[in-house]
Amino acid sequence: MTAKEILESYDEITIGEQLCEDTLFFTLFEKQFLFIAPSRDDLSSGAEIYLYNDSFLDYPHILLRETNITEGKVLPKGTYRWVCLFEQDSIVNSILSYDEKIYDCIDRLIELLNMSSVEKEREFQKEFLYYWNSESIGDNSFQIYLDQDDQVAEMDVYFSKSIVRLTDSRIALSDIEETVKGERRWMHHIEKDAFFIPIKDCRGVLPPHRGYKWTAKDLHEIIYGKQIEHISDESFEKIKTLIPKTQDVLLVFGMRTETTNIAFALNMKCKNRVGHSLLEKILTDITAVEPMFTKRKDYSYLSEQIGNDIGAKRKKVLLVGAGSLGSYVALELVKNGFTYLKIYDDDTLTEENTLRWAYEGYGIGASKTQTLKIMLEWLHPQILIDSCNKKLDTESLTEELKDTDIIIFTIGNSDAQLKFNKVLNQQVFTKPVLYVWLEEGGLYSHILFVDYRKPGCFECLYTDTSGEKVNNRARKNTDLAAENGMIRNGCGGTRAAYGTSILLKTTAALLDTLHEIDRNKLTKNTLIDITPTRVGASDIIFPMEACNCCGNNAE
Amino acid sequence: MKLKKQFADFYKEIRIDDETHALRDKREVLQADIKAKLPGILEDHDITINKSDIRLIDQGSYKYHTTIKADVVDRDVAVMIPLSTSDNTDTRKIKGYLRDAIDIPARTVVIKEPCVRASYYEDGKEWLHIDLPLYAEDGDSVFLARGKEHSSDYSWESADPEGLNDYLCEKINGNNQLRRIICFIKKWRNEKYSGSTSDHEIPPSIGLTLLACDCFSEQSSSEGDDDLLSLQKTMKGILDKFSYTFDGNGDLIRTISRSLPVTPYTDVFKKMKDSSSSYMTTFYNRLSKAVDNLTDAVNVESEHDAGEYVQKVLGESFIVPPKEAVAAQAQNKREHSFG
Repeated sequence: MTAKEILESYDEITIGEQLCEDTLFFTLFEKQFLFIAPSRDDLSSGAEIYLYNDSFLDYPHILLRETNITEGKVLPKGTYRWVCLFEQDSIVNSILSYDEKIYDCIDRLIELLNMSSVEKEREFQKEFLYYWNSESIGDNSFQIYLDQDDQVAEMDVYFSKSIVRLTDSRIALSDIEETVKGERRWMHHIEKDAFFIPIKDCRGVLPPHRGYKWTAKDLHEIIYGKQIEHISDESFEKIKTLIPKTQDVLLVFGMRTETTNIAFALNMKCKNRVGHSLLEKILTDITAVEPMFTKRKDYSYLSEQIGNDIGAKRKKVLLVGAGSLGSYVALELVKNGFTYLKIYDDDTLTEENTLRWAYEGYGIGASKTQTLKIMLEWLHPQILIDSCNKKLDTESLTEELKDTDIIIFTIGNSDAQLKFNKVLNQQVFTKPVLYVWLEEGGLYSHILFVDYRKPGCFECLYTDTSGEKVNNRARKNTDLAAENGMIRNGCGGTRAAYGTSILLKTTAALLDTLHEIDRNKLTKNTLIDITPTRVGASDIIFPMEACNCCGNNAE
Repeated sequence: MKLKKQFADFYKEIRIDDETHALRDKREVLQADIKAKLPGILEDHDITINKSDIRLIDQGSYKYHTTIKADVVDRDVAVMIPLSTSDNTDTRKIKGYLRDAIDIPARTVVIKEPCVRASYYEDGKEWLHIDLPLYAEDGDSVFLARGKEHSSDYSWESADPEGLNDYLCEKINGNNQLRRIICFIKKWRNEKYSGSTSDHEIPPSIGLTLLACDCFSEQSSSEGDDDLLSLQKTMKGILDKFSYTFDGNGDLIRTISRSLPVTPYTDVFKKMKDSSSSYMTTFYNRLSKAVDNLTDAVNVESEHDAGEYVQKVLGESFIVPPKEAVAAQAQNKREHSFG
């Protein structure tokens, strides 16, 4: 069938001028549309629809910007507004026939134009920031950093060239003191007042769109709504007590819809009244409301966007070892919700190790922990790395325990691991401890989870059933394979030769283990083996009853 | 279970959890005015009461948390004063004193038959009214002041507002499905009577609430509460409570009665019946149509079709799910990969 024949099959549609076989006008519900059929030659193409010569229709998905054709060579003169009927990359066009693509497109348009007010509201809210930012005033982009998005908060205002950072006063950003050529990159504007107000019920809160600008009334409705309580009692009481120092005030609102978590900033221009509370200013002093281009940037928000555990953010991790494995683990920890790491390692990065260090090419000859600090903090200003360019000793470990939620050892030194294990066992450390190490040869690795209140510790792996000390029983590699996996440097030193595959696998397994711990699914101390074909609980005897550290033979 | 999410979304859409700050401020100022001014005005008419004697009692849907969104916010607060009804037989005067106590330019105050109403306007449009039924505590008895300002029909009617509160709170609190069903029935009423001009034409909220409590059918399965089935059975139960008689012309007249569960045990539909016999028939017919639609929704297999039937009852705020075939087809076409 031709595009025209398919469109003619709809009772609701009246065909208009046909410009060529695949491009024509039609009328639907008294609105005129330009229809461009999908290309028959390009299977990945889809149909497109533009609203023609209608500047007022304010349906969601009918874009705000219009293209004005004045020299009508291909298309007739007039304004064209694209109708967004598909989420980006949401459909596999290649598996649809030409006819199916057209039917699907028209069905969606009809559905769009038949939406109830509730459906329209939901669609507008889904794309709230698009509409908000499209209506924004000025050249500045407002970056929002929130600590918690359910409480009213006073915000600090920092200006860069064309970026304004509004940060919750409780948040410390690691780059805020940064200088460029001796000049501070971020200037703290203490004379600007800014506040965050969470919206708990977003019914009826629509972004500005065609023919609908925000005014004082919109703010009145949010803060002092007639029928729907949009903000909590706590928020309301708080904004009664806040007294802005400035005439104009920056406000940031946050709200969660069914599908999105939105923050949007505005400049509230006010009459010059001294001593008014924020509530009074909102209710009586507003002269104009200016939407600001807004992007939320805080770590919690970004973390939520990829499904991270938000609770991890406040946990402090002690990471011992910043070698190849430690560098991968550190990088993934900060991407997976952990923002505070203290890292111990006294080593510097050598040329030979650069290809299996998480940040290849950076920091050769420099302290590994210091390089990690720079690189990890660069990822996000809320990430805070405490780098200790020294070997961890038992005294330092004992001191660190007071302020640590998780300990991860990424060192492959049995003596050190056994020594720290003893300290932790003596202290009966109650937080999770993870020993993570690779075997020489790079085929196998292990993760040992220990809660020192339960049976099983690192020394169990070095103990046989009669309580005698033996070498690590978790080891899976043969001596021959180990020997083949070593590179000698000519002066008695050796280097284990392995690529990054084992590092990635081990790091992934560690992240899974941390999730299991967080969900209380690891109910006992567990040794996990990572082999080329599987990740799973080890089959060696663990815990060892005869262990001299945690078992029957303990002193 | 059909339409579980749609009913949950619909309830979220129509419900009003609590008073807004704007409403609370208006109510508190109004209550403060009553306490501050009413004793003085009564004193001028040789009636002595202390400020502390005035009791203000929360009533209506805000009390039971069965409020739904509406064009005008409707709040009920009972005003109870110690008063000898035998010495003060003219309720119109007493209601007039209450009116005078609260009559300021910020509100429009009128005396209605069962209460004094304070209305609030913005841009010429009413957005809130607070109804203040006035009660006299006379010895061990409580009486409601009835009668319009200039009506010859006025009286003190025996009443028990707190007993009614207790009765409904006991029925509704802790029964979330019943609370939702009451809201749905009120929403149905608002939809079907949106064009009505006469108050008495519309089934009163108290009547619908009491009937919903009487006929409530709790429905759930392993998937959770089945609000569609519960609503259908509850509304069918209400429909079955209608009786019929014939009028002088031999035409069938449908009618329903529900007495208040407390003093004065009067029929809550009395005004509706007294105004016009056709109001009851209309109520029956509209309810009957709703039950038919809900029964169809329960019986059809397709969730989309069921949604369309429910939408006919509850209005366009109830979102109909897409056709199953369309949804399945859309699922088949969806891009499931990402890189």
